[in-house]
Amino acid sequence: MSDSHSYPHEPTGVETRKLGMWIFLSTEILFFGTLITTFMIFKGRDFPGIKLTDVYDIPFTSVSSFVLLMSSLTMVLAHNALESNDQEKTRVWLLATAMLGAVFLAGQIYEFTEFYHKGFELSSNIFSSTFYVLTGFHGLHVFIGVVLLLALWSIGQRQKGLSLDGGMNLEFVALYWHFVDIVWIVLFTVVYLI
Amino acid sequence: MSVDHKPHPKPTQYVQIALVLGVLTAIEVALYYTEDIVGVFTDPLLIILAVGKFVIVVGWFMHLRFENSLINKFFTGGMILALILFAIVMFERAAANFI
Amino acid sequence: MTKIIEPRKQSNIFKRPSSETGIWSWITTVDHKRIGIMYGYAAFFFLLVGGLEALLLRIQLASPDNNFLSAAEYNAMFTMHGTTMIFLAIMPISAAFFNYLLPLQIGARDVAFPRLNALSFWIFIFGGVFLYSTFLFGTAGAPQGGYLAEEVSRLGSAPNGGWFGYQPNAGFKYSPGTAMDYWAIGLQILGIASLVSAFNFITTILNMRTKGMRLMRMPVFTWMTFAVSFLLAFSLPIIAIALFYVTFDRQFGTTFFLTEGGGDPILWQHLFWLFGHPEVYILILPAFGIVSEVLPTFSRKPLFGYPAIVFAGFGIAFIGFGVWAHHMFASAISPVAQAGFGLSTMVIAVPTGVKIFNWLGTIWGGKLKLNTPMLFSLGFIGMFVIGGLSGVTHSIVPADTQQTDTYYVVAHFHYVLFGGAMFGIFSGLYYWFPKVWGKMYNEALGKIHFWLMIIGFNLTFGPMHWLGLQGQVRRTWVYAEETNLGFWNLIVSIGAFIIALSILVFMANWIYSRRKGPDAGFDPWDARTIEWSIPSPTPVWNFSKAPEVKSLDDFWHMKYDEDEDGRPVRKDSADALMLELEEEGLNPKEDIVLPNPSYFPIILASGLPFLGYAVIYKMLPLAIVGTLLILIGSFGWGTEPLEEEFIGDGENE
Repeated sequence: MSDSHSYPHEPTGVETRKLGMWIFLSTEILFFGTLITTFMIFKGRDFPGIKLTDVYDIPFTSVSSFVLLMSSLTMVLAHNALESNDQEKTRVWLLATAMLGAVFLAGQIYEFTEFYHKGFELSSNIFSSTFYVLTGFHGLHVFIGVVLLLALWSIGQRQKGLSLDGGMNLEFVALYWHFVDIVWIVLFTVVYLI
Repeated sequence: MSVDHKPHPKPTQYVQIALVLGVLTAIEVALYYTEDIVGVFTDPLLIILAVGKFVIVVGWFMHLRFENSLINKFFTGGMILALILFAIVMFERAAANFI
Repeated sequence: MTKIIEPRKQSNIFKRPSSETGIWSWITTVDHKRIGIMYGYAAFFFLLVGGLEALLLRIQLASPDNNFLSAAEYNAMFTMHGTTMIFLAIMPISAAFFNYLLPLQIGARDVAFPRLNALSFWIFIFGGVFLYSTFLFGTAGAPQGGYLAEEVSRLGSAPNGGWFGYQPNAGFKYSPGTAMDYWAIGLQILGIASLVSAFNFITTILNMRTKGMRLMRMPVFTWMTFAVSFLLAFSLPIIAIALFYVTFDRQFGTTFFLTEGGGDPILWQHLFWLFGHPEVYILILPAFGIVSEVLPTFSRKPLFGYPAIVFAGFGIAFIGFGVWAHHMFASAISPVAQAGFGLSTMVIAVPTGVKIFNWLGTIWGGKLKLNTPMLFSLGFIGMFVIGGLSGVTHSIVPADTQQTDTYYVVAHFHYVLFGGAMFGIFSGLYYWFPKVWGKMYNEALGKIHFWLMIIGFNLTFGPMHWLGLQGQVRRTWVYAEETNLGFWNLIVSIGAFIIALSILVFMANWIYSRRKGPDAGFDPWDARTIEWSIPSPTPVWNFSKAPEVKSLDDFWHMKYDEDEDGRPVRKDSADALMLELEEEGLNPKEDIVLPNPSYFPIILASGLPFLGYAVIYKMLPLAIVGTLLILIGSFGWGTEPLEEEFIGDGENE
């Protein structure tokens, strides 16, 4: 990137990549909105067969929800550390975030297998289908997030370390990660508690 | 980067915010178990708590509070659009089910 | 003497592509102009394929009790005709215009994310190829208790459940075989392409504007691109999820849309039209933008009511999200919903009407030059008004119930999408032809194309109105002699071939003029917007230095003053200015940094069809190959900087 060209950038004052990310997240709302709507519509109906309430384990899911929630904290701490250019701390918090995300994923895999063994399968009934597609779609997001975090962490190992501008930067991944977290905040309430 | 950034919170403040989030989650789980006592208020309360947590994460952790208003408009715009559209679909489907 | 700075061939993990001509330079390009041109040619190819499918349909319907196509083939043809025209022809042709013109109109050097732009294009290509590979590998047939009743020809082995894929008809039970899976996954892939380009264009418009290019100084075409990008960004996620459900229903035994398992077929209609109606505006708004550029130029007047046109565009985009259920009046939706959506459908005619009046106001009292682009724009207004009026009649629910699934509806949306969108697109193709190629098309052939097309178009789709009101039903492959529908159907078929002839004239003109056309100069139309202030064909760096925009229609005001009566008077300095601009545009005085070509967009995109086949055929190796390609693509992408560090000669004369 050079200053030798006369091209002005960013009349909005927002960094271009960040702006792109926020627009992406705005549309993600519609993705999850469609899934949640479907879930709510079918939740209000009678359907034969096994129900989520027959198989789920609220304490377990509460703990894994808490884990994901706390990964948002470690993420923001990583961001904060990088703002004060503390590479060492940034890497530690990044790794912590990725680990917390991985714990959540492991929890979800465990949960899915438990449900499956209890007879709550993908095509058991309309409710189980919507449950798996909805939470599975979220799980896929978490998985991508973990991969991004680990990639960032490994880039941080290199000599130059991480910086807040250029490339796939930390802020970019952080926004995505927090978004994945807020989606789970909604899903935890809508799917499990209500 | 724009210059009119409001300062971001300090790490200790982030930890405090996270504590609040944790407490809210605990209340949610508690509400689930006390549904018999709280009765009809359980679901609305749960929704309010979830919205609260949502706003805290978006506002503070994602720094939306401190961002350019443009981003705010996008995000809330998408949010409102989704809510309206999907509310209509849900009500329409619910109504069709009863008629 | 160009001063493009040569990128250092940096020793990265992968070698960077370096060819500047030949096929590899096109495959690895991230230049918005080249991507735009590739979009244009690919989309035109699919337009020809879709047109061919339409001709087969019309041969079948030319006479009663015909058996040119079998029923299965007919189903496949009308499904593929609709799907192709919408997703593989009109949308990408619009994307071609967006790509080529958007950076030029806002004075930028490229889009915000050039590699992402290349990625959208390649995903679109692979999506199209994947969808069309159904003719090679797909299976489809008449259903009978969930298996293929008979072998159908290759022609019939395409998706056959309509472009709207209504459930449960498009489910496994009634559409056995793999063809509808190709449809669902193909649209999914194409959706990703459009979604990615939507983020890119929104960010580009917001963040890549040149000095002084305030929002309310942007050309209307840019505004319409902005509106379309929003529509795409907010409507495609809905259909993406709905298509997921379809794929799950067909592949993994779920029952989202199948009543026997507690699912809800009407939910599919909601989700589909929540996307599908904004999609209509996604198709038409680019044409609105093109026409709003062409009319002022050829009327030599500013666009009448610029803010009104802009806000009406966004009004259409916004209300366009609230009318989807008028496609479902004949389905089991509640009376309240019917009344509400009937009203909102009437309301959306208002901003559209505003635009029509603005266009008429623009040409009113203007000095009209009836070149081919202008003819197509005027044709657009006429045809679109007819289509719009027949459209409003559908907001009356009882009338709609009568018209649904008849040829009246077919007539309506072809007047809007062909008479509207395609006429606008042809107008734009002629208008910007000299900008893209630096040559002038042949005016006489252009006019022949226009007159053949408007005659053929009205012969084809005009009679469909009364065929529909007489009760000819859509999507049926034969009609009986006794219905007396034969005469007008024959006329319709003849009209379709006249359209085909006009397309041949267009192609001849294009191929001939690209080589042998006279040099156009950089401002052949005496135009108004800044893309005409640079040499034609556009140099690779677009603007030799960032232009500074001082007003709406900036380029016009550089050339013209107004006298006391408000008439334009060409400035004395205009000719000198033109020479200066051309000289400047070809000889940049500063270092120019352009994004470097990259292999990774095409590698990443090529993984998607493998994943698609893996889902259809449940083959793990294919999934692994697809995932690997995506991983290699993303990894290489992530580790390769957009612009290499460069060694400048350090001296600017």
